[in-house]
Amino acid sequence: MSAGFDVILREMLTGSLSTIISVMKVLIPLMIIVEILMVYKVIERLAGSLEGIGRILGMSRNAIFPLLVGVVMGVTYGAGTIIEINKRTPLSRKDMALVAVFMYLCHGIIETGFLFYVAGANVLVVTLGRLLFAFLVTMLAARLPHFRNMTD
Amino acid sequence: MSTLLIAVKDGTIKGFKTGVMLLKIMIPIYLLVVLIKYSPIMPWLERLFQPAMSIFKLPGDAIVPIVTGLFTDEYGVIAAMKSFDFSMAQITTIAMIALTAHSLPVESALAQKIGFPPGKILIMRIALAIVIGLLTGWLGGVFS
Repeated sequence: MSAGFDVILREMLTGSLSTIISVMKVLIPLMIIVEILMVYKVIERLAGSLEGIGRILGMSRNAIFPLLVGVVMGVTYGAGTIIEINKRTPLSRKDMALVAVFMYLCHGIIETGFLFYVAGANVLVVTLGRLLFAFLVTMLAARLPHFRNMTD
Repeated sequence: MSTLLIAVKDGTIKGFKTGVMLLKIMIPIYLLVVLIKYSPIMPWLERLFQPAMSIFKLPGDAIVPIVTGLFTDEYGVIAAMKSFDFSMAQITTIAMIALTAHSLPVESALAQKIGFPPGKILIMRIALAIVIGLLTGWLGGVFS
């Protein structure tokens, strides 16, 4: 050990306390935002106006809503939405593959943006930078023969 | 009560409950990382990963939050990162790597459940985490 136990204990105590504070500082506002987004069906409405973006990404309009849920709110919400949608009007194989690429590269931007901003990261990079990166990768993927030739 | 007020109330309760759940995992991770940091393992880890981390313009220490994140989640990254003194540019690079590849066991299981190929997603995430790490590290100076 390169430091005395009192130093280590003090660091553990103050660090634990500030971890508790920063987690609550992120999660309570986040969950309020998520509730508001759900109650007012914000994402459903937004999805309708993003059809053009779907076309650039090679997705049908059906795929935009679950993708948006996953990207904005988190992968578990996205997964739940995909499972629900597949029960009613199943997504095509190509849509599923492209949603998987985008959603697994970039999800929960509100939550992670908040969280890493509090932790000291550049908030624009961890939100917009990741969105842009996932967007470009998905756009490219949609043009690869492997994805383009997917049929049901 | 208005819809908005109910949403705020429900959100607060959910946020608090989720916070407690996450902290039960985060605090032990944090405590373990503090112990590792002061143990003789740390200088050895630092030296071992110095070359690999330097391609992302990160110090050897950065391996700790990155590896923690692979197996736990974003909150594990935060908990593991906390006890080190990283600069804003370094935190941003660690964030970009860890946010692209994290919670691999849990999120792979989730992928399987939705009907996505977990193996392919895993390979894609790790490969692209390296790409985005190189990119952010290389652009690093711009963000600090």
